[in-house]
Formats: sequence, structure tokens, C-alpha cells
Amino acid sequence: MNWDERSLVLSRRGGTAMAGSATTGPAPAIQTTRLTKRYRRVTALSDCSVTVPQGSICALVGPNGAGKTTLLRMLCGLSRPTDGAASVLGAAPRQAPEFLAEVGFLAQEMPLYRRMSAEDHIAAGAHLNNRWDGASVRDRLRSLGIPLDRAVGTLSGGQRAQVALALVLAKQPRVLLLDEPVAALDPLARRHFLAVLTEAVAAAEGSLTVMLSSHLIADIERVCDHLVLLAASHVQLCGDTDDLLAEHKILIGPKKDTAPLEAAHTIVQATTAGRQATLLVRVDGPLIDPAYQVEDVGLEELVLGYMGAAAPAAYARPGTSELDEPAGDER
Amino acid sequence: MTWVTWRQYRLQGAIALALLAAFAAAMLTYGFQMAAAWHSLLLRCTAVGAPVNVPLGSCAGGSIVGEIPNDLRVLSVIVPVIIGVLWGAPLVAHETETGTANFAWTQGITRSRWLLVKAGWLLLAAALCGAAVSALVTFWSGPVNAMRGQQFNGVFFDTQGLVPIGYAVFATALGIAAGALLRRTLPAIAVTLGVFIGVRLLFNNAIRPHLMPAVTTLVSMTSTWSPPGIAWVFGTTVISKSGQVLAFSQNTFGANGIPITAACARLLPGPAKAIAGRSANPFGPALSCMQSAGYRQLVSYQPGWRYWPFQGIETAIYLLLAAALMAVAWYVLRRRDA
Repeated sequence: MNWDERSLVLSRRGGTAMAGSATTGPAPAIQTTRLTKRYRRVTALSDCSVTVPQGSICALVGPNGAGKTTLLRMLCGLSRPTDGAASVLGAAPRQAPEFLAEVGFLAQEMPLYRRMSAEDHIAAGAHLNNRWDGASVRDRLRSLGIPLDRAVGTLSGGQRAQVALALVLAKQPRVLLLDEPVAALDPLARRHFLAVLTEAVAAAEGSLTVMLSSHLIADIERVCDHLVLLAASHVQLCGDTDDLLAEHKILIGPKKDTAPLEAAHTIVQATTAGRQATLLVRVDGPLIDPAYQVEDVGLEELVLGYMGAAAPAAYARPGTSELDEPAGDER
Repeated sequence: MTWVTWRQYRLQGAIALALLAAFAAAMLTYGFQMAAAWHSLLLRCTAVGAPVNVPLGSCAGGSIVGEIPNDLRVLSVIVPVIIGVLWGAPLVAHETETGTANFAWTQGITRSRWLLVKAGWLLLAAALCGAAVSALVTFWSGPVNAMRGQQFNGVFFDTQGLVPIGYAVFATALGIAAGALLRRTLPAIAVTLGVFIGVRLLFNNAIRPHLMPAVTTLVSMTSTWSPPGIAWVFGTTVISKSGQVLAFSQNTFGANGIPITAACARLLPGPAKAIAGRSANPFGPALSCMQSAGYRQLVSYQPGWRYWPFQGIETAIYLLLAAALMAVAWYVLRRRDA
């Protein structure tokens, strides 16, 4: 685990990160209440209530089709909720220049005009935004050795992702929504991408909030301080990662009646092997059963535990649970 | 947004300008040739003192019928639909199809403004293209118009004057609306083609004749009167004194396409005599019989002077249709999920 790296990121961002979580602080960067999106037959997102404080980097995790893209698209105003409400920096997403200026969105496929160069995109951005830092894009791309004058369609996937990220950062949004930004990148490009992202967040000194969806828990562990876990179109977890990790324990012990345990705590997932049971437990108060060996939980175990609990039984069986199903259309 | 529109459409714009230049070159070359031929014919005709047979482009002094190049104007009929398909249909559809809508619609301007500026420039460009092509065809057609005198006839009316502007703007708006609704370029192109052709056919056949109520003139049965100028004649019916239309039936007989009552039909010449012909009109006695029985011919037509009013009304209708389609596109873009 890269705790040191993560704390480095946190410390670089200064103390403002936690300010948003205070109930009397500024409006949360992202707040949804019972947000629901139904398409003709499918419910893509159901009763989603999450709060993300300003200045945090929030990971949005969940299996394919969990509604991650749907949530992000509703937050940036590209689609409308069927029910419930979303609020970004205290206002509902809408078609108004003052809202659009505050929110940056990067779709999974990194949409850019293939025949246009990065320079063309910079010029387009300058015409389409009141607040626009074109120079930052040029600096960033030059430092990465990405040509500014070539059609972006001829760049590699990693370079295109960097162009797209640089462009969305040039907009200087206060809320940045990234839909699986690193899914298509090789490990090195991924590292570059996340480094640029964390630098931008650090430079913004708490005024930039990022929500990024990803399947890659190692990356999330490194850069994110908040976690929203969607599975089966519902929110399973939402909160500060440290708090979430502290709230959960792994209990290993004999297979026995768990009713006494469940009186105080919540069993998220139970797996048994022979006579031994391994329980992922959301702890509420002291754990006093000496029969169990109590261990701290890692982010991956936590995420997998919740995803497994929400998944169909056959899919969730230990050893068969996988994160990487062939990518599907999550809209 | 204007800059973005220009950047995105500069290639298409350049292609359109090149095509327009080629078309202009052809129209001007052949146009001047034809005008010269027409003038030399007029000179030849006046030299021999012969009247010019206008519809045939000939007189005793000669003919220029063979000198008219192939009807280039037909090419111009497809200009509006090409603009609609290549410019209009991809405007929204290409963005949603390739995902660039996610970029365009999360910048600092609203989707409404995005559409307004982009579609505004495109519709203006379409109107200018329509006007340019129409001006060229109108110039080219000068001698043909003078010779043929068929200003209301399909391809004559549709390719000159104001209507090509209406068609071009309508086709572009249709493409934009279809693209916004279908979100994919190819289906939008197919729908644009189909609907445009359908609307044009329907309008030409069912609506244009009624843009203004037809004028009717009552003339005697023996008259060979026809409306003055280059009118659009719908036809002649025979009505009785009480105003009833005499239709062709088992009891009537035709004479020059005019129904004759059974009573007067006995005065019709026999087939052999009719073919042989006589100095006087062989149908004369039968028609005089109809006249004295109180029947009259009712000619219905659109007078020639209505050419420009018709052009204006039809153009206005197509522009209104375009406005309605833009309203649809705007509504869809604003209300529907991107």
C-alpha cells in the first residue's frame, strides 16, 4: 500500500481538504439526494445519495453497469435525473454559462475532434469559455513532449488522454468529473496522467474537487481521499476513505451463529472455507467476541467485499469474483 | 463559437466554393454561347422578315434548337439536398456519434447558444449557395425561357428565382433536425434525403397549383382562346347554362378533348373525314351545336404575372418549414439527454 504517497498528496493540498466535511462549511462540491435515472426499461441509478466535500479527490468505483457514468453525466448537466436532485457547488446542474464554467467533464472515450490539432482545441476552448488558461495546456503538453500541431487523431491513446486532461484543466473548473480516465492507458501513461491530476489539485489549494471513476484500486488508493461505491445501481459506500477503512474490520473465526455479532455490527460479506468463516464487518462500537481474530481491512478487500455482496451469488463466490468484465456501455 | 464553426466547416466550405466555381464556369460558358445563338437567330429571323416561332426557337431563317446544350439546370436541382445532407445532417449527429458532444457541450456555452451560432452560419451559407446557383441558372436560362415559355413548369420554376434559396435552407434545417433526433449521421442523411424528396414532390403536385386560387374564364364553345402571357393552364371544362360540368361519359363524345352531348355528337365528322381534314374546323358544327345549346368552356389557369408571387409564397413556406424544424432541433437539444 502506498500510504506514504497518499499522505504526501494530502499534505500538499494543505489543511483545506477537510474543511468541506464540516456541516457548517461551504456547500459540498457534490451532493445528490435520492438521485435516480431510468431509461426506457433499465434503471441505471437508483436513490443515489452522496456527499463529496470541496477539495477532495473522490473515487467512484463499482462494477460495469453500476451507474457510474450515469451519475457523472447527470452531475455535469449532460443528462437529466428522472427523480431526486443533484447539486454541484450548491446549484442544480443546468444549461447556464455560470454553471458550465465551474464543471469540467472528461468522458471515457476522451472525445476530441480527431482532425483538429491540440492547438486548434486550445483556440476552440478560448472561444467557448470565458475563463481559459490556454498557456497551461501548451506548457503541460510541451513538457510531456506531445506535439501541439498534429491532428489529435494521429496521437497515441496516452497522448490523447493527456491532451484531453490538459484541456479540461485549462477550463479551470472547480469540480472535475472524470469517467474512467486511465482505463485505456498503459501503466506509465496512467502514472503520468494521475501525476498531472494530483499536481493540478495541489495547485488549486482546495478549490478543486475531483470525482473520478476507475476500476484500478491501486491508483485510487494512491490519489483519492474519498470513495463512493456504486453497485447494482445503488450507493453501497460513501465517505472519507480513512474513515471507511477504520469503520470496517475483517473477522476470522469459527463458523457459528452470527446473530449476536449482528446485534451491534453489520456483516457486509461472509465467506466460509471449511469450518472457518471470514467476515467483513462494518463496526459500530467495540468488538468483544474473543472467538474472532480481528484484522484491519485494505481498500481492495473493502471494495471487493461490497461489490461481491451486491453482485449475483454465482458471480460473487470467492475466486470467481472479478473486476474486469469486458467493458460495456454504462450509459 | 463562430470561430469553432468556421474551423469545423472550413473544408466543407472550400469544397462547396470549388464546386460552385466549376458550376459557374459551365453555366457562364454555355450561357454566353446560348445567348449568342439566340441573338443570331433573332437577327436571321428579322433579316428575312419571318416571325420567330418562340416555343420552337426557330423561324424561316433558321433554328437554334440543336444549339442548346444539354439541360445543365437539372444539376442544380440536387444542390439543396446535397447541402442538407453534407452540412445539416452531421451538425448534431456527428458530435453525438463520435462523442465530441461531450466536449462541446461541457464548455462554457450552453447547448442552445452552440446550436444557434453553428446552425445560424450554416443556414446563411446554405441560403447564399442556393442564391448563387439560382442566379447562375436564371442567367443561363434566359434564352430558353424566352423560347419555351414554360415558367411554371417543374424544372423551370424550381431552379430559378427565389425558390432554390428556400429549398437550400429547408434541406439544411431538415438535416440538422434529423441529426438531432436520430443522433447518427447515416440515418439522418437517409431521412433528410427521403423527407426532402417527399416534401418537394408533394408540394409540386398537390400544393403549388393552389398557392393562389386559379383564375377561371368563361368562353364560347367555338373559341380557341387561351390565357395571355405564359400562364399555367390547368384545363378546360364544359359547363351547362345551369353551371353543371359536363363530364365524359357513355353518352358523350369527344372533340379535341372536349366532351360533346349525344345530341350534338351526330354533327361530328366520321373518323375518315376527321383524319382527312377540311378547310374549316371539322368539329365546328358540333361545337356550334353545343354553343347554341347553352354550353360554354370554362378555362382555369394561373396567369403569367403570378410567377413572382408564386416564387415568393413558395419560398416563404419553405423558410417557415425550416424555422419549425430548427425549433424541433433546439427543443430536442435542450430537453433530451446528451
